[in-house]
Amino acid sequence: MSLIEELHKTIATTYEVDAQTASTQTFEFPLMPLGTAYDMGRDAQGVPLFDPRIFDSREFQRNPYPYYRILRDHYPVYHDKLHNCYFVTRYNDIAACYFDGLGYNTIPKGSSNHVLGNTQLELSGIEHSRRRNLYGRHLVGAALTKRIGAICKLANEMIDEWFNPESGMTEYDPATGKYTMELGKAFANEFPIRVVCQVLGFPDEARDKFYYWYKYMMGGIGGRDYEQKGLMARQDLEDFVESIVEERRLKPNFLLDDEGNEVAPDIISELCKTIVDGDVLSTEEITSNIALIVGGGGETTRGAILNMWYLLLQHPDQMEAVLNNDPLWDAAFHETLRHSSSIGGQPRQNTFDVELQGVKVPTGSLMHMVDFSANHDERIFSDPEKFDVLRNDLYSEKILRSGYSKDGRTNHMAFGVGPHLCPGAWISHQEGSIGSSIMSKRIKNVRIATDRMAKDIDGVSLAPIGLGAINELWLEFEAI
Amino acid sequence: MSADYGSPTVEHEAAAGDDEAGYRSYEVYQRERVGSPPPVKPGQLRTQDYLDDPYTLLANLRHYGPSFRDWQGNAFWITHYNDVTSVLVDSANFATRSKRWFYGLATFGRDLRNNVPFLTAQAAGIDKHAPVVAREIVEAFATRGTADLATEFAALFPLQLLGRTWGIPDADLPVFVERYLRMQRGSRWNVANQEAGKQAMLQLVSYFTPLLAARRADPQDDVLSALATLEIDGPAIDAHDVVATLLEGDHETLHGALANMWYLLLTHPDQLNMVNNTRRLVKYAYFETLRHSTPVLSGERFAKREVERFGLLIPEGALVICSAAGANRDETIFRDADQFIVGRKDLVQREPRGQYRADGLPAGITPALGTPSKFPALPVGRPRSLYAITRDIATIASHALLDATSNLQLAKGAQPVLKSRGYGELHTCWHLPVTFTAK
Ligand code: HEM
Repeated sequence: MSLIEELHKTIATTYEVDAQTASTQTFEFPLMPLGTAYDMGRDAQGVPLFDPRIFDSREFQRNPYPYYRILRDHYPVYHDKLHNCYFVTRYNDIAACYFDGLGYNTIPKGSSNHVLGNTQLELSGIEHSRRRNLYGRHLVGAALTKRIGAICKLANEMIDEWFNPESGMTEYDPATGKYTMELGKAFANEFPIRVVCQVLGFPDEARDKFYYWYKYMMGGIGGRDYEQKGLMARQDLEDFVESIVEERRLKPNFLLDDEGNEVAPDIISELCKTIVDGDVLSTEEITSNIALIVGGGGETTRGAILNMWYLLLQHPDQMEAVLNNDPLWDAAFHETLRHSSSIGGQPRQNTFDVELQGVKVPTGSLMHMVDFSANHDERIFSDPEKFDVLRNDLYSEKILRSGYSKDGRTNHMAFGVGPHLCPGAWISHQEGSIGSSIMSKRIKNVRIATDRMAKDIDGVSLAPIGLGAINELWLEFEAI
Repeated sequence: MSADYGSPTVEHEAAAGDDEAGYRSYEVYQRERVGSPPPVKPGQLRTQDYLDDPYTLLANLRHYGPSFRDWQGNAFWITHYNDVTSVLVDSANFATRSKRWFYGLATFGRDLRNNVPFLTAQAAGIDKHAPVVAREIVEAFATRGTADLATEFAALFPLQLLGRTWGIPDADLPVFVERYLRMQRGSRWNVANQEAGKQAMLQLVSYFTPLLAARRADPQDDVLSALATLEIDGPAIDAHDVVATLLEGDHETLHGALANMWYLLLTHPDQLNMVNNTRRLVKYAYFETLRHSTPVLSGERFAKREVERFGLLIPEGALVICSAAGANRDETIFRDADQFIVGRKDLVQREPRGQYRADGLPAGITPALGTPSKFPALPVGRPRSLYAITRDIATIASHALLDATSNLQLAKGAQPVLKSRGYGELHTCWHLPVTFTAK
């Protein structure tokens, strides 16, 4: 072969191989048995390689945990050069970064900017702490305890509808005496929104509008056409809030208990009289805060409730234990969030050059704190892939604020930790456990209506939860 | 804090005392909400849509506004001609990161590309070898009457030329090229390629170690000898430096430029005819190719500090993607920007200077193909810029092709396209079958 022919062949081979392996598009990861990672090759020392395209794959959506394990074990700070970011995957590293609000600020949340506006999610340092407690305190402790009665009432109202044939929430089969329903439609989609709506102090007639705002603002975070609608929804919310704010600035509104006594002012009334930097909040700021609660309080809690029932029903012994011991709903709620949370993690940006786990990260890099992975870190939780309501290493009381571990038990990371710890943690915990407890007292012999559920790749077993929350949960049950 | 949390750097400790340092002001970010939503989704610019046809998406971005923030990739896209050139020449505020950094081998060897003896040897070597290599390559297929200009001409030429100018013996060339390509492919996001690339780098170090010693003992007329005898501060030049220098160069870009130029000429037969009849237009065809279909779609720069530009606050460390493809089709700069017009009147028809302009006219931007010279005139003792050199090589190679063939045209039924095979890869024509009559 002449030199030119030989060269030509060498080059052509390289490009051909490239065309097959290096493309961002044509490569499809095979779907693996749950818990097993696809072999992405090894380096000269035998360390598994990690291909960043996996993050965009279907395989990763349904079976993320073995991949996170590779990251935790071999690349605790992984530089993803395809997506120009870093992934931090060990619990302790993530917790340390979250607590260091100055070193790891929250700016990358540009995702919500266009639609939600500027919220405390994007702020760090003093700017954040000044605004953080505007209403956070109204969602916890004594202030919340006062609201529990109202939460129970909302839950019961919704459950009543299941047994009302007009409502269309359930299908009833008189022959077997069984009801069938989709838990999301019949309960989980709306319940958290109703709670938030009430806590905010929106008048009941605003509820329909609330769904509109919620749906379009959430949809709008994706971009493009949806975003236009999202912006319109936000404008609408802003107009609405403006009128309420004007009203409540003059005359605060109160939440009432069953006897009609004033329990506590609603959150908008609280925000109206709040003073930051020597001045009251502008309507714009109040709207952004409300938009954040509207966004943060719905989808997340919905996912937690659906995932919890899905997991419990697939572990009948644990379901049994919970049904026999009401306080276990708390543990079940938290174990669900540890095992399969509805939020994957949070982005941060490092304010300084840092070296973390031997990796040098230049200032201003996008660093993803992977809460999913923290929750499955075997350095913290033993046998992390196992769903175990009774596990003794998970802390499941009221979430810890200043630390993340107590008496050998550790918080899960689904609410984050540190300065941005989810202020809705306690209320969503109440929604999840109280709502479910009430449900469990009104229905019995609950089963997953398997034939209506999404299946995994074998076409037989139920689809895994994977990243995020399941879409639908079909249940079959009898009335009590 | 846990024990295995890496300790923050000293810089971090010092600044941690300063309460103001850690957050952005509320107001600046507030501004981002104003305006209409961006026309593309974050991440869409990494999909095949973009790799196949970047120009439609980029036109959307250009019309949308001066910049687009892709928050998923921590990147700011800029697409207006004047903005892109302003960043590419602003090394005070924007830095590049070396391929070795992407490899995670930032301290591997030294990049010696800016040393004058190296530049001089490179220019001299290219001048000497380019015409010879061009002829050899064209002769290999000239009698056949058919050829694939992408693989047999455009891809081959730069690599064989590289081997000759560096002084790689012909016998070693196939092995050298294989390793070289493997090394270059590893400098991006693909981990398997990166592993293979690391191996290739080590193999190249072993290859160059004896060769470098030999050239030091007995210097020849080639680039390797210039490196072997180069005197700079610090330890003597070793094979790692040679490999680093080789890695940081962008020899393949010329492949893209040649392939795109011939793709454009062959798909515009009237222009090809014109160029064939008036050979001085070959050079203009090359300039117009850089503008119309740059093989490198964008240049990446990282903000060295927080800067407010293009209506946005760009945080320190953010990636600014300077879209050459977007800028080159800026209709406020080029008339009928989407058309391929050899010798167009609104394009500078010689080497631009610093700001990508000369004679008051803009030039096409192709990152990684040699930056235009900053100097208004060629300084004494320096070779001409890499921009000028690559232009000359492309012209020489194309002349050789025209000299050896007549009736050069696309093979019957051939429908060549320009596309990237993966994110960050050349946007070029991978197969360009032609037929011709041998002269
Ligand atoms: C199971 C349900 C929920 C989950 C998993 C969840 C998760 C989270 C997480 C991980 C964060 C931290 C963000 C960060 O570190 O940057 C967060 C913040 C936040 N959440 Fe939740 N959340 C839930 C329910 C709620 C509810 C019910 C509300 C409102 C009533 C709410 C309102 C907020 C707000 C306002 C923030 C921003 C706090 C700040 O940045 O200071 N969340 N949430």
